Amino acid sequence: MSITPLRPRTGPNSPDGPPVRLVTPGAQDAAGMLDDNARFRAVVMPYIDEAYRLARWLTGNSTDAEDVVQDASLRAFRAIRDYAGGNPRAWVLSIVRNTAYSWLHKNRPAAIVSVDDLEVVELEHAKSDERRDDTPEASLIAKVDAEQLRAAIAKLPAPFRETLVLRDIEGFDYREIAEATEVPIGTVMSRLARARRRLIETLRDG
Amino acid sequence: MSRPKSDDSSVLLVHAYLDGELDPANALSVAQQMGQEPALAAEAEHVRELQKLIHDRLPREQAPPGLSTRIESSIGAARPPRATPASMRSWQALAASIAVAAVVASGSTWLVVDSQQKPTQVAELLVSDHIRALMAPEPVDVVSSDRHTVKPWFNGRIPNSPRVVDLAKDDFPLVGGRVDVVGRTPVATLVYRRAKHLISLTAVPNDGAFAISGPRSINGYNVVQWTENGVTYWAVSDVEAKQLEAFAQLFRTSQNEL
Repeated sequence: MSITPLRPRTGPNSPDGPPVRLVTPGAQDAAGMLDDNARFRAVVMPYIDEAYRLARWLTGNSTDAEDVVQDASLRAFRAIRDYAGGNPRAWVLSIVRNTAYSWLHKNRPAAIVSVDDLEVVELEHAKSDERRDDTPEASLIAKVDAEQLRAAIAKLPAPFRETLVLRDIEGFDYREIAEATEVPIGTVMSRLARARRRLIETLRDG
Repeated sequence: MSRPKSDDSSVLLVHAYLDGELDPANALSVAQQMGQEPALAAEAEHVRELQKLIHDRLPREQAPPGLSTRIESSIGAARPPRATPASMRSWQALAASIAVAAVVASGSTWLVVDSQQKPTQVAELLVSDHIRALMAPEPVDVVSSDRHTVKPWFNGRIPNSPRVVDLAKDDFPLVGGRVDVVGRTPVATLVYRRAKHLISLTAVPNDGAFAISGPRSINGYNVVQWTENGVTYWAVSDVEAKQLEAFAQLFRTSQNEL
């Protein structure tokens, strides 16, 4: 006897199950198509700018960002019926983020930092935390220009970078960031604190 | 004095305090703690400075123009309503999408234009569509010189995609396509260009109920039409009649591509 702990995948409207049709196929397809388009326009289209900016920070350039956003939009369109009415901005950006990471994985595997690498990064960072005394220094505002700032953010490991971008550039709250990056709020908080410290240090040393 | 580690909860709370994430009670206690511990006060100062720096130096960039349009084309969504003076066309788009739903729902393929509709009326409608398109921000709903982009765009909008041919080598480059409405039927219109003039070429299903002779010119716009395989093609443009005839000839004789 076998026990399946997971919900069975067959059944109405599951990928493997028989499709359920309540009305004539043609009519349902037509109504469904218009309905999906309307939902897509209401849920996804308002956040194209945010999507583009996040994709740009993750891929590092505008051409790739456009590709990622187009690809993510298609994914969002196909998944639009799964959108359960939560925060639309967080939902859209979580798709953009996942699309960007699969894109990076495929096109620039070297750019992907594995979780192990990230632990090393965080350990080193924790050491530098201890080393560094908190001495007063010249104002950052006076000495850092936009290009230096952009470069310093681009150098952050992706999990720190996306958290910082969503908070300090896009103005997401912690809950939205947790949803968009699919981690608990505690992780958002520690990533954000690390990202900001790292960034401040890079800007000072540079 | 050594500063607390970044994952120290007092540090995380300072960040959360600055981000407005704390309830009043916690906010108060963090504020008090910052007053007592210079390291935390310094942390707060640095973060504020960084936030101001980001705010001042990194304006939020908008997505490139055209990205939204490309997304809508790729998902097959109709364009959102446009601003005036294109209001007529968004009306049409709405009518077209309703008509598409009706057509798809009825399961028919080509919906034949009301046979009561006289060729003159069709020609006048198409000349109006052409003029409206010229006044709209874009004369087309899908912008592409690539017939492999334009033809599939019509899938889901009208029952049958039109024949799309590449006439760029003959100096009639493809500009794109749009959905026009004749009577109650959404029809495919391809837009080609000759120098600075646009040519709207509309494929209207025709069950043979009306003869294929219509006016040659309406309001100064030349009109050329012909029928092949149950579809009447109407070319409307302000190019010279001879050039429009030449265009029609090229289109008719070109291989059925795609």
